[in-house]
Amino acid sequence: MKVSHLLKNRTALAGAVITVIFLLAIIIGPIISPWDSAGFDFASVLQSPTGAHFFGTDGLGRDVLTRVLEGARVSLMISTFGVGLAMLLGVSVGLYAGYLGGWFDDTVMRVVDLLFGFPAFVLALFLMVVLGFGVINVGLAIMMVYLPIFARITRNSTELVRNDPYIQAAQIMGQSTSRILFREILPNISAPILVQASVSIAFGIVIESGLSFIGLGVQPPTPSLGVIMAEGQEYFRRAPWVMTMTGLTITIALLALNLLGDGLRDLADPRLKSREI
Amino acid sequence: MAPVLPGTMLFSWEFPYMPSPLKYFFSRLVGAIVTILVGSLLVFLVMKAAPGDPALAVLGDFATPESIADFNRERGFDQPVLVQYMHWLNDLVHLDFGTSLSIASGRDIGELLAFRLPNTLTVGVYAILIAIVIALILGTSAAVRRGRPTDTIATAVSVLGVSMPDFWLGYMLILGLSIGAGLFPSYGFVPLSESVTGALHSGFLPALAIAAPMAAVFSRTLRAALVDNMDRDHVTVAKSFGHSRRFIFLHHVFRNSIIPFIVVVGLQVRYLLGGVVIIELIFGIQGVGSLMVDAAFARDYPVVQACAVTFLAIVLAVNFLVDVICAMLDPRRGGRS
Repeated sequence: MKVSHLLKNRTALAGAVITVIFLLAIIIGPIISPWDSAGFDFASVLQSPTGAHFFGTDGLGRDVLTRVLEGARVSLMISTFGVGLAMLLGVSVGLYAGYLGGWFDDTVMRVVDLLFGFPAFVLALFLMVVLGFGVINVGLAIMMVYLPIFARITRNSTELVRNDPYIQAAQIMGQSTSRILFREILPNISAPILVQASVSIAFGIVIESGLSFIGLGVQPPTPSLGVIMAEGQEYFRRAPWVMTMTGLTITIALLALNLLGDGLRDLADPRLKSREI
Repeated sequence: MAPVLPGTMLFSWEFPYMPSPLKYFFSRLVGAIVTILVGSLLVFLVMKAAPGDPALAVLGDFATPESIADFNRERGFDQPVLVQYMHWLNDLVHLDFGTSLSIASGRDIGELLAFRLPNTLTVGVYAILIAIVIALILGTSAAVRRGRPTDTIATAVSVLGVSMPDFWLGYMLILGLSIGAGLFPSYGFVPLSESVTGALHSGFLPALAIAAPMAAVFSRTLRAALVDNMDRDHVTVAKSFGHSRRFIFLHHVFRNSIIPFIVVVGLQVRYLLGGVVIIELIFGIQGVGSLMVDAAFARDYPVVQACAVTFLAIVLAVNFLVDVICAMLDPRRGGRS
């Protein structure tokens, strides 16, 4: 898959462009914003969106846009951290399970099936109770939700290619198992994993904001999208814009990552695309 | 090894002397039971490893070492973990979930669940039905008008639907349909046992909020399955026989697309129940999800445990149901275990 392919697929391109704009906004935004995300301004409490405050102000007179951009950075980092760990562990375990087969494969897949039996958010909630609240633990909860998904995808893809001629060639050449797994198999099965990663990061943000929203995740004053929504929920009737704008931001971020994932999926499996259109 | 459907049973049992469909049914059932046993053990062990002393959570910071020891002895917390698990499991089999520590201190957890589970199930089933109706409309119209504006719009709507966090959508629905239009209540839920219309009315917004992302996934699956089947040879043959488009669609395309659709509906239950947790809090529904969150805050471990196992049981029950329905619809599946 090359960059030029990405440019030709409209879905992937749209997703990539919005993602890049979003990333730029959350990196540069808080720096160039004239407002301080932690600066209280009691003279301008709960103002509706204006030219000065595009997203309005919150209960402490803080600029919601600045806070949302900073919160999005925190949420995205937590989600990426969790999904990254899940990918690292899940892909490694999945590669070995799919390649080696036998009891190791059976055991791993049974554990995966068991984790799949719990509703995603319930699993995350349960882990927050066990681990305690906080930024890192939210990331770990997200990891546990996505670990089984990465393990299963990798294992199934590995099983499909493990008897291919190029793998046999590598085996005959006497390459070590880990080299075969990570140098031969992984590059050939990376497409579905990358698609899953982009979709998982999107839903990791939802899990983070959900946990923080009910107060079991990131704790204030650290801004995260969930924390800001939890605050907005307190004065939702008087100032609905805090909640609305924060949620819209999440929706746009998710939309971008989902489009990117869809586009990548089409690129990875052209057969699927020709069938769909 | 036969490919294992995602989200299906942990273990499969072989019953060599039974007729094939029954064999399949029983192997799935036993698998579900074993899964819930292993799952409950996992929940129990992880919960025991959790930081924080339940005794302190109940007795407060001023507890004396003697009162803590008394509390632990009374509850059996001083015994080895596996002994505690066996006791817990034994009670669980008799549908005795123990008593709550702090949020409803001393009350029977079974009673709490018996009161709350119907509400969670009502909202959940309601959401699935709404999602299926939306998906049938969106997915079918997109597939029938493949490549035309209707298709593009339906696809765009479904990508958007998947991208909205359900709890935020809940608030937006409150803003528009409750505070704005005044059509639905923004808080509170009338249990189904009290009033059917009341439950349908008060449960509509929460169910719709949970249904939206699911409807998006369902309609995409349905569209893909329909489009896939439209290109099959048997459809071309049916066309050459001069059957009407409507007949071909219903009998040759739609029927074959139902199975992947049902499988996805089953898989989404996992996400549905996750969404239920926050939605119950927002809309003030007395359900298992809101109970679990309350218990999580109060460090009421037995209640958290009971809720987690309940959710696991619901997911497994639905998976079992989906497997059986699929086996009934597609005889080829029945022989496989």
